Amino acid sequence: MGMVPLDAESLPAPHGRYMLCEECDAVYPARPIGRDDLLRCRRCGAVLARGHGLPLDGQLALTLGALVVFLIGSLSPIVTLELQGIHSQATLLEATRETWRTGAHVVATLSFLTAFVFPLLVIALRLWVLVPLVMRRPVLFLAPVMRLLRWVLRWSMVEVFMLGVLIAVVRSAGVTHVVLGAGIFAYMGLTVLLTAIHAAGLQALWAQAVPKRRGVRVARPPRPRGRPLWSAARRARGAP
Amino acid sequence: MSRSYVPVAADLGLIGCEVCALVSRRPRSEAAKWLCPRCGHALHLRKPDSVQRTLAWLLTAVVLYLPANLLPVMTTASVLGRESHTIVGGILELWTTGSRELAIIVFIASIAVPLLKIAALTLLAFSAQRRSQWRQRDRAALYRLVETVGHWSMLDVFVVVLLVGMVHFGVVASVRPEAGLLAFGAVVVATMLASASFDPRLIWPQQGPHG
Repeated sequence: MGMVPLDAESLPAPHGRYMLCEECDAVYPARPIGRDDLLRCRRCGAVLARGHGLPLDGQLALTLGALVVFLIGSLSPIVTLELQGIHSQATLLEATRETWRTGAHVVATLSFLTAFVFPLLVIALRLWVLVPLVMRRPVLFLAPVMRLLRWVLRWSMVEVFMLGVLIAVVRSAGVTHVVLGAGIFAYMGLTVLLTAIHAAGLQALWAQAVPKRRGVRVARPPRPRGRPLWSAARRARGAP
Repeated sequence: MSRSYVPVAADLGLIGCEVCALVSRRPRSEAAKWLCPRCGHALHLRKPDSVQRTLAWLLTAVVLYLPANLLPVMTTASVLGRESHTIVGGILELWTTGSRELAIIVFIASIAVPLLKIAALTLLAFSAQRRSQWRQRDRAALYRLVETVGHWSMLDVFVVVLLVGMVHFGVVASVRPEAGLLAFGAVVVATMLASASFDPRLIWPQQGPHG
């Protein structure tokens, strides 16, 4: 479903609200977004807005579920191998520790961050915002938390890790006898849950956490640095 | 539609926030820097130095691409001896042992996606620098594709780390990561940073109401 961008005649009144295409800056009149709407930019085809059927408490439930599944997935063995009577179990954390021990510190850190720390942060930061919102309390450190969440979403790679497990299992099957553990199934569940939560986007959180105001807000100048706040305030009042 | 004038944020004195997507009004003044009234992030009409940063990360990726593919990414040791495996070697091994579907998946993730990303972002960066109006819609779609598939190249890094963790039976069988894996991981990170540095709004140079 496309949307017609504004033209010179249909500019909204000064207090109208706008939507911008994040990928090409085209301006659209703001409009309410229905549950199953998918608005695309007429000019570049990017998604402008997506209606999401998931209310905040639903998001909270899915995120709590994701936390449980994540803990199971990262603490229980992904696979059990058997070779000449020796059993070997591996969890995600053991695999990264073993890689660290061989001296490949950078690679071990990279996989530890993208398969463990960042997915955990995605869940934890969402809970940080969702729990107070559902309880109708203010969210502490909203802006830095949301900024970190946005960054961490890009670098969290649960689904890639899951496929990696599958390929590692097939490649070692020639050497040893492999039995899948609880961890791999938990990671499958986690992939599904995170995808569902991710589809809800971050916009709804912003909209809920910061009450809407009429009209378009004005960008503010940065606080002058290097000078104590009180002197800036005095100057603003006309003090010498 | 493509040739007609589309008002953009700058024409209307508006600016969108990269972080929280709030649309705010940018005061017409000489001040160079404005902050988003909702989240406090610095507002830019375009990401600063986007093309230069993209090209710098791409260059890093290209330089590391050869060692990533020529050096072995892991060594398997068993009573029968040692064997080194490169990325391509791993794909061939999957192909010959019968899991052809997985071989194709790994080929796409490890060989095709990094090459696609390097080629696509080079094209996007240079055409943006020349303010080209050539196939803008297709270029926008290409950027979205690069963003979507970008992180799948990390697949082989995870495979080796998992094999190292899974296969440790002392002298009987063990797996060690090798230098190629470091280069390969660095290529993946560099291409992801290149794609994050590129500002897709540069595909649409400011036209102004009079063309």
